[in-house]
Amino acid sequence: MKIGFIDWILDTFGLRKPIRLGIYGSVNVGKTTLANKIALDWTGEEIGSVSSVPHETRFVQKKEKVEIKHGGKKITINLLDMPGLATKIDYRDFLKYGIKRKEAKERAKEATQGVIEAIKWLNNVDAVLAVMDATKDPLTQVNATLLGNLEAKNIPVIIVINKIDLKNARPENIKEVFSQYPSVEISALTGKNMDKLYEMIAKHARR
Amino acid sequence: MKKIKLDFVSSTALSGKEPDKRIDFILNKVKDGSILVIDGVLKPEEEMNLIRETMRRVDDGFPGIEVCSLKKPSNFLNTLIDKFMDQKENIQKIFGNLTGNTSIATNLRTGITFIGPAKVIKKIKKNPDSFSVLAEV
Repeated sequence: MKIGFIDWILDTFGLRKPIRLGIYGSVNVGKTTLANKIALDWTGEEIGSVSSVPHETRFVQKKEKVEIKHGGKKITINLLDMPGLATKIDYRDFLKYGIKRKEAKERAKEATQGVIEAIKWLNNVDAVLAVMDATKDPLTQVNATLLGNLEAKNIPVIIVINKIDLKNARPENIKEVFSQYPSVEISALTGKNMDKLYEMIAKHARR
Repeated sequence: MKKIKLDFVSSTALSGKEPDKRIDFILNKVKDGSILVIDGVLKPEEEMNLIRETMRRVDDGFPGIEVCSLKKPSNFLNTLIDKFMDQKENIQKIFGNLTGNTSIATNLRTGITFIGPAKVIKKIKKNPDSFSVLAEV
């Protein structure tokens, strides 16, 4: 795509505002692992902690002015790692991980607030990475609702098919179900195909 | 033996309600333990509001909901009807804003929605044109 004169002015004089890139998805699909990988690749610092216990990310985590360069293009983003979207949060689920009842209840309360915050942020993002776990069934209500909302709000979205390093990964299932969206298969953990993701971000993420 | 209550709700019972009242209606019933089967589908924004409102109501006895909706496959006529309804609601909103009446009643989209308490509904397996529900009492 040819860069217009206004684009050239904005880029040359650093007037372009960063793109607010939200990382959305269900719980435990690897959103923070992905956010950490992007932040580490371009700023040298991670963004948040990762855990196998669901709802580890209960607050929106930000990394501002992350400059992604790909194919001669530079794109500046504010990276927003969102709490996982869910329709249910049961404190009893946390007890299985050895968390004490009182702490589990507090974690559940914070997790519900996190979901509300993530939904609120949908009005303040310019583009979204919708992360899905390649080992799980993608036909969930959370995925359908998220993509339906992004479409209604006209927010560009890239489906990030994560965890392709796992043996039981079936990325083709997600591609088939959501064939109308741009998608990329990656492993945020091993870094596989991250260059392809950056290429797609540079191509699709726009204000 | 524990009992499950199933409520089958026609689209006319929910269409014409303001979106907030519709979500209230749904969540009040589900929080009381009912499973709802609705002859219609919420708009994506309403589905998200349903999730947000559910989170506000989560407590020790109500961990949330399981929900699944099947939209009628898009064809030219359905798309046209949906677009017409969107335009109608947009016009109502404009007039509502002018007259100070900001709560506008909206209609459901064609399809089917299943909503139940997460305490009872253990799993929903969705396929492109069907879904199955596993409940545990």
